[in-house]
Amino acid sequence: MSEPRTGLAARGLTLGYGRGPVVDGLDLAIPPGRFTALLGPNGCGKSTALRGLAGAQRATAGQVLLDGRAIATLGSRELARQLGVLTQSPAAPEGLTVDDLVRQGRYPHRSLFGGWSEADSAALEEAYALTGTGHLRARLLDTLSGGQRQRAWIAMTLAQQGRVLLLDEPTTYLDLAHQIEVLGLMHRLVAEGRATVVAVLHDLNQAARYADHLVMMKAGRIRAEGPPSEVLTPEAVLDVFGVAVTIIPDPECGTPLCIPRAEGAFGR
Amino acid sequence: MRGTWLALLAVLALALLGALSLGDQPVPPDQVLGALAGAEDVPPAARMIVTGLRLPRAVLAMLVGAALGVAGAVAQAVMRNPLAEPGLLGINAGAALVAMVVIVEAGRVPGGALPWLTFGGALAMCAAIWALAWRAGTSSLRIILIGVGLSAMAGAGASFIATFGEVSAVQRAMAWLAGSLQDARWETVRRLAAWAVLPGLLAWAAARELDLIAFGDTVARGLGMRVNAVRGGMALACALLSGAAVAAAGVVAFVGLAAPHLARRLVGPAHGRLLPAAALTGAILVLAADLVARRAMPPLVLPVGLMTALLGAPFFGYLLWRRRDE
Repeated sequence: MSEPRTGLAARGLTLGYGRGPVVDGLDLAIPPGRFTALLGPNGCGKSTALRGLAGAQRATAGQVLLDGRAIATLGSRELARQLGVLTQSPAAPEGLTVDDLVRQGRYPHRSLFGGWSEADSAALEEAYALTGTGHLRARLLDTLSGGQRQRAWIAMTLAQQGRVLLLDEPTTYLDLAHQIEVLGLMHRLVAEGRATVVAVLHDLNQAARYADHLVMMKAGRIRAEGPPSEVLTPEAVLDVFGVAVTIIPDPECGTPLCIPRAEGAFGR
Repeated sequence: MRGTWLALLAVLALALLGALSLGDQPVPPDQVLGALAGAEDVPPAARMIVTGLRLPRAVLAMLVGAALGVAGAVAQAVMRNPLAEPGLLGINAGAALVAMVVIVEAGRVPGGALPWLTFGGALAMCAAIWALAWRAGTSSLRIILIGVGLSAMAGAGASFIATFGEVSAVQRAMAWLAGSLQDARWETVRRLAAWAVLPGLLAWAAARELDLIAFGDTVARGLGMRVNAVRGGMALACALLSGAAVAAAGVVAFVGLAAPHLARRLVGPAHGRLLPAAALTGAILVLAADLVARRAMPPLVLPVGLMTALLGAPFFGYLLWRRRDE
């Protein structure tokens, strides 16, 4: 594997919480300007790997590189200007409006006592436009639906204007319409060349449809990596998830569609 | 929004006028204003009562309340807990233990030393909690749990001394513990201002950091905040503010908890507005509580901390009642 000059990469990244590594010697180059989906069963270390890529968890061994520089050597604000992170089901204090939340995205861009700038306003408007949440800005977060709230959080992450977005299960707890909406937004951001997106996803078929690059993990290691058509095979799914599946072409977009085999139990 | 600020200032001015005018020797409001303005036609006795006795006490009450209000707002943001108050950082327990030891065990101490010693006790306790909670960084839950534990131990120590100490000394210590503005001299006011004004202003200048840290460590860190440094700095500001208040007036209960909640209802959760509003609300609460404490059972002057505690208990009920639907 050659050293990537641009973009985000992990080199021998090992992460753990004290009792053995959760992510074990991860070597991963995130393709710049693409949508990468991290997949795997619960507890496989994909969320931990994402936290490691974001610099939110200290590596026990190895490192994460951004444009060839170790992110541990970057200042925290500097890193936050490059990487936007959205954690799984984040919580906000009571009584805040959408605008209060989205404005926080400008934190890494502002000097200690500096005021609100034109660039801050422009970034805010862009984030509202991309997520379609501008009409919600005066609403209290507590009064929003799950999908609206998730879009508000994504708007905050976009207002950060990082080149790379790291999202931990951005579609979990959303209904189907909002899942499609969020994934479509990610796809559009990548297609318009605004950002590199890395997301932990659970739905294999959605990942195959919207992502350019799939990374399948099991027990803290990568088991398969590449474009959906190459990665999403019956052998790989059986290996990683322990589920026998049939793969057919998605009738809508031709990407692989993965259907669990009906082994006896549901036979009619 | 401007109306809210004007209303807060008006209520504070009214409470101040009441505090200066009411007492064993009532002074009519026009003479109070005259004495404050230095007018010639005010009787010397009224001038003496207003500017010499009641004004330092009222100013001390306002400063104590403002310091506790700001400290409480900072504590609630840093701990991410609506029930957080400066006492959780061990300030009250540390100061109380030191006061008990000094007043009961050491017997006579030079009058000027007690504030310094209790201030030191408050800060030492806060530092101990911080050190024990530190494990490659801090977390608000660990600070709260260790704070509760250490405070209970310090409380046990104070109770031990109170149980076996000389009765009259214990009584004096208990009066101090209940929170009292009896020691209201300009010197006390100046010392409190010197210790509390700078940390208060620093906390206000860092309002944006408080806004963000209230979202929790993960979000704040993701946006590039150095969470441990900010939490440490803010906890220090909180400890200095409330430690200075405790050293000046003893344990004045519930203001650090109630003032930020009231202020949040009035001006919302953004700390740029919340901190000044909490300062004003705290000032009003302590000033009003002291007025009631002085006038409830004359000639007896009740400890102001007793009044704020009596007001605080129903406030808890109010908080619960508001959350009944959640």
